[in-house]
Amino acid sequence: MKCEEFETIGLDAERDASLGEAERAAALAHASTCSRCAALQDSWLAAGAELRAFAEDTAMAQAPARVEMRLRQEFRTQHVTLKVRRAGVITAWTLATAAVLVGALSWVNWRKGVSNEAANHAKHSLSAANSAANNRQGTANHRAPVESGPALQPDSSESEDLVADNEWNDFTLLPGALPWDSADAAILRVRMQRSSLGALGLPVNEERASEWIQVDLLVGDDGLPQAVRLPQQ
Amino acid sequence: MTIAEQERDDVLLRRAAKGHEEAFTLLYRRHQAAMYRFALRMTGNTWAAEEIVQDVFMTLMRDPKKYDASRGALGAFLYGVARNRVMKHLERLPREVALEEKNEDGTGSGIVLKDASTPAIWLEKRERIRQVRAAVQELPAEFREAVVLCELEELSYEEAAQLAGCPIGTIRSRLHRGRALLMAKLEMLRGVSRRASVAR
Repeated sequence: MKCEEFETIGLDAERDASLGEAERAAALAHASTCSRCAALQDSWLAAGAELRAFAEDTAMAQAPARVEMRLRQEFRTQHVTLKVRRAGVITAWTLATAAVLVGALSWVNWRKGVSNEAANHAKHSLSAANSAANNRQGTANHRAPVESGPALQPDSSESEDLVADNEWNDFTLLPGALPWDSADAAILRVRMQRSSLGALGLPVNEERASEWIQVDLLVGDDGLPQAVRLPQQ
Repeated sequence: MTIAEQERDDVLLRRAAKGHEEAFTLLYRRHQAAMYRFALRMTGNTWAAEEIVQDVFMTLMRDPKKYDASRGALGAFLYGVARNRVMKHLERLPREVALEEKNEDGTGSGIVLKDASTPAIWLEKRERIRQVRAAVQELPAEFREAVVLCELEELSYEEAAQLAGCPIGTIRSRLHRGRALLMAKLEMLRGVSRRASVAR
């Protein structure tokens, strides 16, 4: 072994596990024959002893307790913050989901309301149209409610019934009257003495001539009675 | 829930990542001394060593996934992080003068030598240690690292090479040059010391 080689690997031949037995023996042999390298090794051993003293000096060194304290504080802060952040995210998502659900429900209800309203409107329109048609008929019936006193006041419910029932066939055509147009005719319910029927050209029982009876008169658009009906008492 | 002292590092780290403070504390207590010694021997500065240890464990706390158990022990990973921090510190403050180590209460480092039979011998040894520390601190960072790892931490060349991230040959070469510089420095300091004692 040469001096340069000894300086590189020979000084620590005992510790260097990468060296083989032959190299260790060669280093030992060189140190025993070369006084310069032997002095170098002695110097290194002295330096090694001093390094070990330094190592021992710091062997028990530890980070101060405040480092652990700071780290634990930071650990708590970090994980609490993380938990708070997670809770915040969960809350935000929950609220957002709730808002979306509420919005969706409101929209569905609104849509349902709108469609119901439209259906009702259509129904009302239909019934209004029907009513209008009926009313047109009814109005025609009621157009001339000429009353001559409480006895001649038309009974609206009955007149409606009459119109609704459409019982035109129950009327007896007065003598000399022409068949009427039902669209322009009106029914009047009046009280009169039976003898008055004679004035309309109808036969009257003389024994009961003074009796008061209720009569439905079918009045044409010219205001003249055209037919009469005796409602069942 | 208490954690068994012998719990493996990677298990503890997983628990710590889930917010288990006791697991993190156990990991810290297991590794802090080695990190602190390494940082202190490299920087020669207690404040810097303290900062480095704190940085190392902050890194572990904030990003535990950086450690991959399949690539080696947690200790080696922490050494690697500490080494990077030390190198950054040395680059940032290349000419920082190492201060005399102080305890937390501001007193001296309080080293007690077990074989110090007399105050004179104790003082002489303290002075020698101070000189060695100064000599180590004056080594270039790479040589210093090799000396600290191989001579002070007593790692094998292979382990030191693994931690430093270089081949064994490079570690051997750095150690050789570091030793040469260290011996020269120590010889010089011994000479100065001898001359001073003769003058007295």
